[in-house]
Amino acid sequence: MAEVVLRNLTKRWGDFVGVDNQSLEIRDREFLVLLGPSGCGKTTTMRMIAGLEEPTGGEIWIGDRQVNDDLPKDRDVAMVFQNYGLYPHMTVYDNIAYPLKVRGTPRSEIRHRVEAAATKVELAQFLDRKPRALSGGQRQRVALARAIVRTPKVFLMDEPLSNLDAKLRVTMRAELKHLSRELMITTIYVTHDQIEAMTLADRVAVMKSGIIQQLGTPDEIYNNPANLFVAGFIGSPPMNLITGSIRDGMFVTSGGIRLVPVDSADRQEVVLGVRPDDVRVSEEGQGDIDVRIYAFENTGEATLLTVQWGHQRVIARGDRHLRKDQDDCVSISLMADHLHLFDPQSGVRIAS
Amino acid sequence: MRDATLKYLLVLPAVLVVLATAIWPLIESLRLSFTVGRLNRPGSLDQYLGFENFAWAFLYEPAFWNSVTVTAIYTVLTVALTTILALGLALLLAPGGRFRSGVQALLILPFAMSPALIGVSFRFMFNPEFGLFDAFFGVMIPPLADVSWLADPVLAFAVCVMADVWGWIPFLTLVLIGGLASIPQDTIEAAQVDGASGWRVFRDVTLPQLAPVLGVVVILKSIFSLKTFDQIFMLTNGGPGTATQTLSHYIYFNGMKYGQIGYAASVAWLMVIPMIFLTYAYARFVFRRP
Repeated sequence: MAEVVLRNLTKRWGDFVGVDNQSLEIRDREFLVLLGPSGCGKTTTMRMIAGLEEPTGGEIWIGDRQVNDDLPKDRDVAMVFQNYGLYPHMTVYDNIAYPLKVRGTPRSEIRHRVEAAATKVELAQFLDRKPRALSGGQRQRVALARAIVRTPKVFLMDEPLSNLDAKLRVTMRAELKHLSRELMITTIYVTHDQIEAMTLADRVAVMKSGIIQQLGTPDEIYNNPANLFVAGFIGSPPMNLITGSIRDGMFVTSGGIRLVPVDSADRQEVVLGVRPDDVRVSEEGQGDIDVRIYAFENTGEATLLTVQWGHQRVIARGDRHLRKDQDDCVSISLMADHLHLFDPQSGVRIAS
Repeated sequence: MRDATLKYLLVLPAVLVVLATAIWPLIESLRLSFTVGRLNRPGSLDQYLGFENFAWAFLYEPAFWNSVTVTAIYTVLTVALTTILALGLALLLAPGGRFRSGVQALLILPFAMSPALIGVSFRFMFNPEFGLFDAFFGVMIPPLADVSWLADPVLAFAVCVMADVWGWIPFLTLVLIGGLASIPQDTIEAAQVDGASGWRVFRDVTLPQLAPVLGVVVILKSIFSLKTFDQIFMLTNGGPGTATQTLSHYIYFNGMKYGQIGYAASVAWLMVIPMIFLTYAYARFVFRRP
């Protein structure tokens, strides 16, 4: 059990900056997700915490100890790798037992703890197999069991679900969540999948180009994105971003349509963000603005309407029973209390 | 022409070449091993003796047993030294190892030299009058200044081993670098995070995964060590006395120098026995199913 503190952590390879002077405090027993597109520095950050990558600058603290100069083996962390990192020449039992074996744990205790860990991830009947005789999901479970077989200070998980097929990923996600609640150990989890981040995290750190863009609970990240990047990255389909200006308390699109009243001072240039769920669809003439349907998609659980006026396209999520066709006309209205305003130059959220 | 016929016609030239240059000499040498087979005695190539040549080698030829011993020690030493040194170098030069790039290119140079040339160069370097080593030791370690390396049975043998190890390390290093590169990096990192020290990572994770490549390396090098001839021929010519006379050299001497082609053929076929074992093991390693 320990908190993890990063102070001005930097990683550079020549001119390329992987992680740029980042500070972050991960609380004891917290599940923190590092979320971002590939190349954003999230995996590098985690590998520096594990000791697999040497920081160019800054400090890493695990508990009350600065670990910059400690070898991975001395940091008391456990890691789950994207490709599982299982030892192919060892059985499942030996794989799970390895962290205990190298620490000189007595044989009887190893057996006891390996069996307990294997039972927890439902692998008890596969202990004699080699990893190659297991399915992807089972291999992932072995990697998990190897991490939980002892009680490390910190769990590190590097995109642990990304090699699984979509269906298995959902199952494993729930299992991971259940397990993490049960173990209550500080966990740092790297992913590019926003659903994983939203569902698993106590707090999410959204990263881009080596810089943490926003740190907050999933609710905060989703409901109050700090900038255009976070707004566009979180949510599927992503938030609609409409450029325009604010005149007399009204948002006016670049095309000159007075769209919706906003609670903000007048501005020449502004980006209005609205999530597809916050765009209400109604019959023609009954909403704020009449638009033509560019595409109608039925996903089964909902319908997605891409509507267009001028050059502006907006995605709205409609009721799952709604049936429309391309080129039909509908009316949309934006829900005034769920709007986000951003500065188009800096991308920063404008407080309303 | 039908494809079925054409495909055989197309490989026919290659098959004929192999038959003429490999299969026929092989069969002919087997036949000769059962004959009197004296090059200076007309008709003796068709005078059959049964297994007498083989019995002669085993029962009445101390020189045969000497060359067997020399070959065995030579093989064990060169295989062990080359493999261990090449493994060490490969670990340093592998991706993620400490030295890389330019050094790798330099490394291949000794392997680019023909074994006969290596033999000649080493003979010159160990020449007691004007050799490089003689001059070197004269300055660095004066007591070794006047040692005649190639005149002493043990030292001459050591020089042979050294020249062979020197010549073979690069190739084996490159093969092992390839083997190391194919080990998934995350298994090594997983072991580091799991708490293993550098040595335990190597012993528990790297080495077992390298074992198939290491097996191939050891077997290949054993085959090459067993049949060593050219380098010994140029370096010591089997001497002093017969201190460095390997089996191949013994066969060559009996067959070419003394004209006892039948006897030489029978000893050559005795050498085939360990070779068959090694080749079989090699094939098992290379073609085994994952």
